[in-house]
Amino acid sequence: MTLQLGRHPFADDATLMMAIVNRTPDSFYDQGATWAEDAAFDRVAAVVAQGAEIVDIGGIKAAPGEEISAAEEKGRVVDFVARVRAAYPSLVISVDTWRAEVGAAVCEAGADLLNDAWGGADPELVDVAAEHGVAIVCTHTGGATPRTRPFRVEYDDVVAAAIDDTVRYAERALAAGVARESIVIDPAHDFGKNTFHSLEVTRRLGEMVDTGWPVLVSLSNKDFVGETLDLPVGERLVGTLAATAVCAQAGARIYRVHEVVETRQVVDMVWSIAGRRPPRRAIRGLA
Amino acid sequence: MSPSRLALVPGVPALLPSYASIDDPVADLRAACLTAAGSLGPRVRVVAPHDLGRRVARQLLAEVGAEESTDDPTGTLVVGNGSAKRTLKAPGHFDERAEVFDDDLRRALLEPIPGALTGFDERLAEELWADLAGIRALADLLTPAHRAEVGYDDAPYGVQYWVVCWSA
Repeated sequence: MTLQLGRHPFADDATLMMAIVNRTPDSFYDQGATWAEDAAFDRVAAVVAQGAEIVDIGGIKAAPGEEISAAEEKGRVVDFVARVRAAYPSLVISVDTWRAEVGAAVCEAGADLLNDAWGGADPELVDVAAEHGVAIVCTHTGGATPRTRPFRVEYDDVVAAAIDDTVRYAERALAAGVARESIVIDPAHDFGKNTFHSLEVTRRLGEMVDTGWPVLVSLSNKDFVGETLDLPVGERLVGTLAATAVCAQAGARIYRVHEVVETRQVVDMVWSIAGRRPPRRAIRGLA
Repeated sequence: MSPSRLALVPGVPALLPSYASIDDPVADLRAACLTAAGSLGPRVRVVAPHDLGRRVARQLLAEVGAEESTDDPTGTLVVGNGSAKRTLKAPGHFDERAEVFDDDLRRALLEPIPGALTGFDERLAEELWADLAGIRALADLLTPAHRAEVGYDDAPYGVQYWVVCWSA
């Protein structure tokens, strides 16, 4: 499906790299490396140079931790979004937030996409997206409360649950007035899921793609990779890329990543194997 | 009677849509081929010794809105190229005889010297992986009065390509 992410259209067959930019002191992967605004801005410059089409700016880490008020979250992201908007007019700016109040403020500052990692916990977020003409990511969390870890979560069928919830959320966004081509679904690996659930969602991602809604996957260095290979954060790139390849084969369109260059290579390679992308430059045997 | 408008292009598979890349590895060659194909009028006789060459010729004609025809043709499109052993990375690796071979062939094509086109050693041409069968047919189509206009003359991948248009 054609994608319209805020002011930016993308062709039917385009795959997109969404680079994670944390304005947090405590996110699991970078441990606050881009907490300072200038460091985060440098991270944006780096991922743009690496070819990322989207930056996903977040002001609150997903895991439990110190309570961050809406005011504090806005303080971390709103002015930063405006600064990135001014510097990179053609970049898609996503903001990772579940709060409608924050969503409205970042849209005013120039955001194109609201990445609601917590599955519609704030019911008014879709209205904000509709009102500002931005896109929205509809995730599956199994009803988890924001910033909680899964504890003994069970599903009859985790993929069916992910499809039901994300499609229902997508239809809610559509009914609220968000454009059809501006709605993305995300099974949300590790959110409300144990490692077995995340592996199954990966294995059966094609069923989500078959819904017709564009699919985003967020796999990067997550615990399901770490537990599967028994590797700590910092040693999960190869496992992440293996999961990325499987999701690309299934047809995922957007990849939320820490490592842009490596993920882009994997997705391009798989997309070409699948016959959806020509080689960059083929002359061997054809001269 | 042979039609007066004549052109030569190489039978390069990379010119086919089924082998298209994101970044065209033969962009300059393709542009020259399309210019040549477009100079032949609406009905073009194709002289290609093999299926691949014929597919390339048909594709080029389709792209310029001409059609293959043997009925009162307005022009003739010949498919062929020189050696494929010009460099170490050439498809046929390096053969020191290749450059001389191509120089002689170039002279015969561009002067032109129609009689010389049938005089090339067939065994040597085969050893150098040159695609000469179509080019030999030019001996009957060209006259010394023809004037050649070169659209392309290079061996970017170790294969000698020419794009030439002749007018009488």
